[in-house]
Amino acid sequence: MTAITARVGGIRWTDPKTVGIAGIALGALAFWLALPPLASRTQLLPILLGLLAIAAGIWTWSREQHRIGGGAVAAGVLGILFGVLATRSSEAHLDTVVVWSALLAATLRYATPLTFAAIGGLFCERSGVINVALEGMLLTGAFFGIWGAIWAHGWAPGWEWVIGLITAALAGMAMAAVHAFWAIHLKVDQIISGTAINFLALGITGYIFIDKYGDSGTPGNVADYGIPDVHLHFLNNWYFIGPILGQLNLMIWLSFVLLIATYIFVFRTPYGLRLRSVGEHPRAADTVGISVYKIRYMAVIASGAIAAMGGAYLSLGFVHSFNENMTSGTGFIGLAALVFGKWRPFPTWCATLLFGFSSALSDRLPNAYGNQWGTLFNALPYVLTIVAVAGVIGRSIGPAAAGRPYEKQ
Amino acid sequence: MSDLEPIEDAEPPTPPGQVPAPQQRFASRFGGITGAWAPIATTIIAFLMGGLVVLFTGKNPLKVYHAVWNGTGINWFFHIGNHHARVPFSTHKMWFPWDTASVAAGNLQQTLLLTTPIILTALALAFAFRCGLFNIGGQGQYTAGTIFAVWLGTSFVNLNPFLHVMLCLIAGTLAGAAWAGIAGILKATVGAHEVVSTIMLNWIAYWVGSYLFGEGGPLQGTQASIPISNDIAEGAKLPVFWGIALLQGLSIGIFIAIGILVVYWLLINRTTLGFEVRAVGFNPEAARYGGVSVARNYFLAMAISGAFAGLAGALDITGWEYRIGENDIQASTIGFTGLAAALLGRNTALGVGVASLLFGALINGTSGRQLDPSIFRPDLAGNLTTIIQGLVILFVGLNLGGIGLWLKKRRRPA
Amino acid sequence: MADAPLLELRAITKRFPGVLANDDVNFDLRRGEVHALLGENGAGKSTLMNILYGLYTPDTGEIMLDGKHIDLGSTKAAIEHGIGMVHQHFMLIPVMTVAENIVLATEPRRMGVLLDYDAARKRVRELSERYGLAVDPDARIDRITVGQQQRVEILKALYRGAEILILDEPTAVLTPQEAQELFEIIRSLKSQGKSIIFISHKLNEVLDIADRITTLRRGVVVDTVPAAGATEEGLARMMVGREVLLRVDKHPAHPGEPLLQVENLSVFDDRGLEAVRDVSLQVRGGEIVGLAGVDANGQSELIDAIAGLRRPASGRIVVDGHDLTHANAKEAIEAGVGHIPEDRHRRGLVLPFSLTENIALHGYRTPPNSRHGFLNLGAMLSRARRLLKEFDVRGGQPSTLAGALSGGNQQKVVLAREIDGDPKVLIAAQPTRGLDVGAIEFVHRRLVEQRDAGRAVFLVSLELEEILSLSDRILVIYEGRLVGEFPPTATEEELGFAMTGGGRGDEEAA
Repeated sequence: MTAITARVGGIRWTDPKTVGIAGIALGALAFWLALPPLASRTQLLPILLGLLAIAAGIWTWSREQHRIGGGAVAAGVLGILFGVLATRSSEAHLDTVVVWSALLAATLRYATPLTFAAIGGLFCERSGVINVALEGMLLTGAFFGIWGAIWAHGWAPGWEWVIGLITAALAGMAMAAVHAFWAIHLKVDQIISGTAINFLALGITGYIFIDKYGDSGTPGNVADYGIPDVHLHFLNNWYFIGPILGQLNLMIWLSFVLLIATYIFVFRTPYGLRLRSVGEHPRAADTVGISVYKIRYMAVIASGAIAAMGGAYLSLGFVHSFNENMTSGTGFIGLAALVFGKWRPFPTWCATLLFGFSSALSDRLPNAYGNQWGTLFNALPYVLTIVAVAGVIGRSIGPAAAGRPYEKQ
Repeated sequence: MSDLEPIEDAEPPTPPGQVPAPQQRFASRFGGITGAWAPIATTIIAFLMGGLVVLFTGKNPLKVYHAVWNGTGINWFFHIGNHHARVPFSTHKMWFPWDTASVAAGNLQQTLLLTTPIILTALALAFAFRCGLFNIGGQGQYTAGTIFAVWLGTSFVNLNPFLHVMLCLIAGTLAGAAWAGIAGILKATVGAHEVVSTIMLNWIAYWVGSYLFGEGGPLQGTQASIPISNDIAEGAKLPVFWGIALLQGLSIGIFIAIGILVVYWLLINRTTLGFEVRAVGFNPEAARYGGVSVARNYFLAMAISGAFAGLAGALDITGWEYRIGENDIQASTIGFTGLAAALLGRNTALGVGVASLLFGALINGTSGRQLDPSIFRPDLAGNLTTIIQGLVILFVGLNLGGIGLWLKKRRRPA
Repeated sequence: MADAPLLELRAITKRFPGVLANDDVNFDLRRGEVHALLGENGAGKSTLMNILYGLYTPDTGEIMLDGKHIDLGSTKAAIEHGIGMVHQHFMLIPVMTVAENIVLATEPRRMGVLLDYDAARKRVRELSERYGLAVDPDARIDRITVGQQQRVEILKALYRGAEILILDEPTAVLTPQEAQELFEIIRSLKSQGKSIIFISHKLNEVLDIADRITTLRRGVVVDTVPAAGATEEGLARMMVGREVLLRVDKHPAHPGEPLLQVENLSVFDDRGLEAVRDVSLQVRGGEIVGLAGVDANGQSELIDAIAGLRRPASGRIVVDGHDLTHANAKEAIEAGVGHIPEDRHRRGLVLPFSLTENIALHGYRTPPNSRHGFLNLGAMLSRARRLLKEFDVRGGQPSTLAGALSGGNQQKVVLAREIDGDPKVLIAAQPTRGLDVGAIEFVHRRLVEQRDAGRAVFLVSLELEEILSLSDRILVIYEGRLVGEFPPTATEEELGFAMTGGGRGDEEAA
């Protein structure tokens, strides 16, 4: 069997990995075919495709490619499940929910704060410091971003969102500095100091919010000077891409830039090499003269700034207001995306897109199906992450020295 | 006389120059270290800093704290006089040094009502800590407990009261145990980090609960536009021994919680299970060499820990909430208060008891019911409590870290 | 060879709390020589070299390089002065490639900010060819052999311009072939003008590779001699200070029935490689069987299998008639296997537990220590008192934490616990590692006592003198196979020869 290696188009079609990936694609296809615009009505189709996916997965698994094989089996099962559900739902409902352009645009909007949070977490954890305080940093950025913008409205009109982003970043850095000092110098357990930051962020932002904006909440005109959308007029008449990419917020475009910059920095520059060395084996880095403490401080504080900017996007670019605990778990989804994406920028981004898609779907489902299904869908990112952590989609192993304070001798 | 050179393995599990993995440090740092001065100092620092926050926003911290104090009801103990009190569950009256019907008494009832679940969620964390595990999933396990308690409480309406209450409590406990058990199994089999899995489980419980009791959800009550469950049956409610049930009197749940504190202490210190749990928490390798099954203990520790949190949920439902709504599930943070209490109480039974009382008092004293809004807005006060909790967690970690480091430096030659 | 020494350490003294690690040490290194630093564990070799590498600062004394005084306050300074060190535990990042590890912190750059990986790869290849250190620059560290990793460490030092190389116990982790390859590399480096300090406690190696040998004992330099003309006995005498190596007084053995039988056992290690190959042995009651071998030749896996901590791939293990092949640790303990693990801190004791609790670690499940799941603290306490007295454990009460005791006393606690469990088979793995002379004597006496009481004692040790002085029969393991059985009258040469694979055919690969 394995002796046959047909090479077509440069891809070994009978290579287990290829078969496994094809299985995952088949599973996705099983679901997609049942959705608009194709909206196939036969239950047979998703079931068949899903079974093929499962078969591919099992074959791949037996050829020692456990992770991809498991992924294909999972995709097959989910494909059958959702595909059949979709075929049983009415066409009208499907059409209401699955408006692809709106869905994908919403996906990008939901994914962006996740991206910022996850990338912030990436820097921090790659240096060896666990960061469960992404939620707190996101929230801090959300509040201080809008606070800064409102404050700037008085004396720097036109620049509000820039000032807001700066104040958000500064506040995030301050929170992160506390986490850094506690974790690096005082060598306190990093999960505890991270949890403390989450509490502090919640309490401080809530306290100052109520104190300053009390019963009336943040001013209603923030939408006028929030982070602007980028209007790409030349895309206006493009059939599918237009509605998705034509009107995205600046921060969404920035998130793409952030991803690329992060990839280059971490994997293609000497600084990134040192960052990773500090996270994998700090003692080895120390013996070649790298300052472990300095790099860790910079990484943690940078993560605070980046995550906070993601929060600023939420309050200044998305909903244009602030409410107590408005992030409610987004930071943790970001952490989940980071784990799911194995601490690498692009897989993490795929995870944020997946989770963003799930949020976007949960937003639209109530239109057709009533509240409950939308609510339940919100749990999907967390379920997927547990599956990832359980190793079905692959063991998520982080930087080797993550979580251990470094003792300089 | 010490060795001149440390033993080095051919391939050390921990790279040299680093402290051992958090797992092992946890248990040794947080397990039953005697000395109450560190938590007391932590508390004082936290309150001081909280006071600074209040000061910073232009209010008088002393007045605020005084108002909070009055709201907690602990001042009740300081007014001794000649009163008569009704003996619980009867109509007799007897002499009693305190006035059981005063305002302070009412406040104290509320404080103790709040302390009950905090004790249990704190125990959940403490037990897991002893095994070197970080169970941040107390909130989700608590929610699981409430869901099952409400579900069973609203079914079987004509069941014998004693049985009904027991059923709800046991179901809640088992639900919490199962919810945490998922994380435990993942840890025991594939080594999945329990922090990640329990955080995820928290949010899954959050959304599943919202779905169940939301509009159109399967467990939503008979009022279609309100996302709240029905009330549980009269027979499923815990007896109230102080105060009036309709006005949220104190149920016997507090005694159950205190009883569980004792159970915790016994379990940890006097049973073979506790011995194994502690051994695994301090040094899983040595435990393994002694024949202890590390995987089994990870699972058991998580499951038992979840059981405590689930019971907390069940006690709350049967003790005073009697129903649950989508908003309750989403707003609850009792699991995290338990985290702070466990850390402050150093994972010992006595410490947890005292720390839970402290937080129960704090939360009650700053709640809308008790705090006079002219002195301090309750929602501000609520956030102040959160800040204080955060500070406590921050400084608790510091104390042990600082002391441990200092001691280490004194012992090692380098 | 130049006459003036390249490097001189003069009157170096370094003190740690409770211990004088280096006492007025003088050491010099000539250009192009291999100078061995010999001594037992704890003699002060590593401390001296750590001072030279900038990790410690000496209390008194000075360091001269090329006749000029230098200050080595940090490793960076040492590297700048051309001093490179290859540590015993490699400072390599497992998930990164060879090239990345080598260029770390002094990376070649493209356009100022990007990492020029091609340049790095090229440079590594150049160095590799120049010094004869064959490595693949793109291979990940965790996928190459230990010998190759060591070469990467050496290349790291050479990349940073090291003229002086310090090798700290380099052969401790190598197979005998790899050690020979290393010696070739050292000779090649020497011929290219590098000067090398070779730290070791192995006499035969030191005689093989060094030009001069300095012996340290308890922080003091005993002597510096040229290798030509030195003998193992002479060196041993300098190292240890005694004419005769420790031999235990013991009666002849009266072995009875076999209590431990291992048949055709095969065990895989953590990396999935076969560590124990088709091993058959037996230990009878009333005898001590010693297993000699270079570290990492399968001893750990063999012990793990017998103790139930690792599943064998095939074969049988029988203890006193019970088949324990598939038993786990608990079942093995209950069947009568006692195990003194080789690392008392990580595997033998729970340091934050009290002595009572540590002793209870073996036997807490059975009465009188516990009943129906409840511990009987009184019984545990009296057992602890009894054992602490019987084994003369000093430094604490039953309630003292194990971490507060000295190494020797800690080992006594482990011994006490295992022996009190009344095992039929007692496995002792490196039982005297890191202990002082008095504690070593104590442990040896106890092991002989157990043998005389009719138990089967299986001693696994890296110290040949220990094996020779205690064992009634000696087995040698090499690359997972038993390659010879010797009487206790065998010489160290015979054993060393077998341990390094001599006398066998060249059939198998590493």
